[in-house]
Amino acid sequence: MSEMWINMGPQHPMTHGLWNLRVRIEGELIRDVDPEMGYLHRGIEKISEDRHYNEVITLMDRCCYVAGLAWEHLYIRAAEQALHVDPPERAEYLRVLCDEFQRLGSHLMWYAAFVQDLGLMSPFLYGMRDRDLVLDLFQSYTGARMTYEYMRVGGVRNDLPPGFTASARKVLDWLSDRFREYDQLCLGSTIFRKRCDGLGVLKGPDAVHHGVTGPMLRSAGVKRDLRKDRPYAVYGQLDFDVAFADGADVTARYLVRMEEMRQSVRLLRQVLDWLDRHPGPVIAEHLPRWLGAPYAPIGLEGYLLKRNYPKGVGFSAVEEPHGEALAYVVNEGGEHPYRVKFRSPVFANLSAARTYLVGYHVADIPPIMGSVDVCVGEVDR
Amino acid sequence: MGRLSAPATSPGAGAAPAAVPAEPAVPFVEIEAVRAKEFVPAAKEALTALVAEQGQRKLIQPVFNWAGRNSLFPLHWGLACCAIEFAAAFGARWDAERFGVVPRSSPRQCDLLIVNGTVTWKVAHKLVTLYEQMPEPKWVIAMGNCATGGGPFRTAYSVVPGVDKLVPVDVYIAGCPPRPEAMLDGILELEKLIRERKE
Amino acid sequence: MQPADLEQALRPRLGEHLLGVEPFEGTAGKVRFDRSAAVATFRALHDELGFTHLAMIGGIDWVAHREVVYTLWSDAAKQYVFLSTTVPADDAHVESASGVWPSANWHEREAWEMVDITFDHHPDLRHLLMPDGYAFHPLLRSFKLHEPEELEVKVRHV
Repeated sequence: MSEMWINMGPQHPMTHGLWNLRVRIEGELIRDVDPEMGYLHRGIEKISEDRHYNEVITLMDRCCYVAGLAWEHLYIRAAEQALHVDPPERAEYLRVLCDEFQRLGSHLMWYAAFVQDLGLMSPFLYGMRDRDLVLDLFQSYTGARMTYEYMRVGGVRNDLPPGFTASARKVLDWLSDRFREYDQLCLGSTIFRKRCDGLGVLKGPDAVHHGVTGPMLRSAGVKRDLRKDRPYAVYGQLDFDVAFADGADVTARYLVRMEEMRQSVRLLRQVLDWLDRHPGPVIAEHLPRWLGAPYAPIGLEGYLLKRNYPKGVGFSAVEEPHGEALAYVVNEGGEHPYRVKFRSPVFANLSAARTYLVGYHVADIPPIMGSVDVCVGEVDR
Repeated sequence: MGRLSAPATSPGAGAAPAAVPAEPAVPFVEIEAVRAKEFVPAAKEALTALVAEQGQRKLIQPVFNWAGRNSLFPLHWGLACCAIEFAAAFGARWDAERFGVVPRSSPRQCDLLIVNGTVTWKVAHKLVTLYEQMPEPKWVIAMGNCATGGGPFRTAYSVVPGVDKLVPVDVYIAGCPPRPEAMLDGILELEKLIRERKE
Repeated sequence: MQPADLEQALRPRLGEHLLGVEPFEGTAGKVRFDRSAAVATFRALHDELGFTHLAMIGGIDWVAHREVVYTLWSDAAKQYVFLSTTVPADDAHVESASGVWPSANWHEREAWEMVDITFDHHPDLRHLLMPDGYAFHPLLRSFKLHEPEELEVKVRHV
């Protein structure tokens, strides 16, 4: 049978975003794939060179729009290292709180979108319903549902509102009951099992070789989690397990993400307990004045201070919901970063598409690509 | 809408289901809810009477507008951040489908293009192609600041500063991203526009 | 693993092509190497030191020269390491790492497209994020951003 290339995207219900999967097929069999990216390339790295350090945070929210706070955290850690600023401890706990709630939100969004691809409509409604509860919590202390602009160089913008921890615990209680229902809906469904078991297999050594990270790597039996291996913020003081599975297929990725959500709930309970017991400042006290308020008139003295501020290079690594995200910030003096470079986990996971798609059928593409959890914003940046 | 209200008296076949208000510039049709089996002959009878009374053009347009605005089918196309709020509007809490808005995956089945995110030059001609593939009549909603005018990325080298450079836009929704309520409000604004449509 | 350990392990293999190992907070160090020994450096780190995961390749434009920074991770040492090499701006090319780490493929395509650094013997060096035929390299310092002009787009129907 003759072979041909077909385009799945940029407008295709499988893509969940703006990208194009070019597939070479022979009949129903996938012979080769070539993801075509860049449809959402917004030049975030370039725009950052034109902005104050705190203004880049705005772009980070839009960079990965399902995990905005995790990307803020990533950028902020690198910027703090480049600018020689240390945040107070309560701010670090608040950032972990943001990170883990964001992981819940992102995984719930993934669950809603992924299971809908398989033809099960009701999990979409349940996933979105529960994600909205998490977004309500974000809204109560950042003021926004998706684009938060909450973290600052040197800490976070504001403390939690009164009564937050109680309502957060209520949401966690609700969620931890729901995970069992999700499993029943999916793992108990013949449709789900037949479309997921044994598909998209990517074994551990291959995954490492191709730079795959996050739940995709952990589902292949490699226990790499930056929260455990290279603890940042306060993860070293918290008690949790790394979720991993051995199946290396779509079902294994589902299991890993579900277990990660349970671990996030466990982490969040510890963080909330700590926050209840330790009030304190949430932003560093001795920030350079020009950093605190970019447009405030600072006079000649402030200008000279800004000119003479020490240079530096910052690097940070954060376990984002999709995997390992890195940031590299170069501070050459002055108010704008000289160069900002990000590593997106989905970028690497997609670049390995050939290894886990070739040999399967066209109808297997939606479940396999759904299990990758593509967020195009961070791939194209 | 031209109300599909519960029948006040007996819903029997042959009840005169149509009434044309005299005053508004754009008349609309009221059809009482009856069972489908009874609806067709009843509607046929009412429409025939109206055509005889008013002339074809004046009648058909309001019926088209009524049907169109209550079954807007947007294209299932997620561009960027706003697409997540677009999806949330179809979730359990906001349930956009109660307005008859159902996303379809093929542009051939759609009459509404919701541009929910940043449009880059690389995707610009694909967007125009999709718009051209949609059958008439069709509408465009620019959702969010990026689609309206480039938003925070307007200075970027790869971003179209506003989708109205490419396709005609009917409704703009502000916000970055707009909340689902704002998106629903935009759809209701569009329904108002369609209601007054004359051509 | 400390910068001194890295230097001790790499010096016999690279000789004078190893330009030094600087400490870098949060990583094992920043290895500076000469671009003529690129593949030998990659091999040494991948095969001998166990840095099997290539996380990121980034290019930085320092106007007079350009710098390529590779970020590697070792599962055994649980540490990151930076590799860095400089290339002159008028002759910006370096050997591709995709023979050692397949994940380098897309990162190098992006670095070529954004910072104009050519990677020799790359299997597939073409545009990744910008459309084919895009003539500029946006992340060079000479590329300036500006407010969009009033523009009128004419859609041609074919």
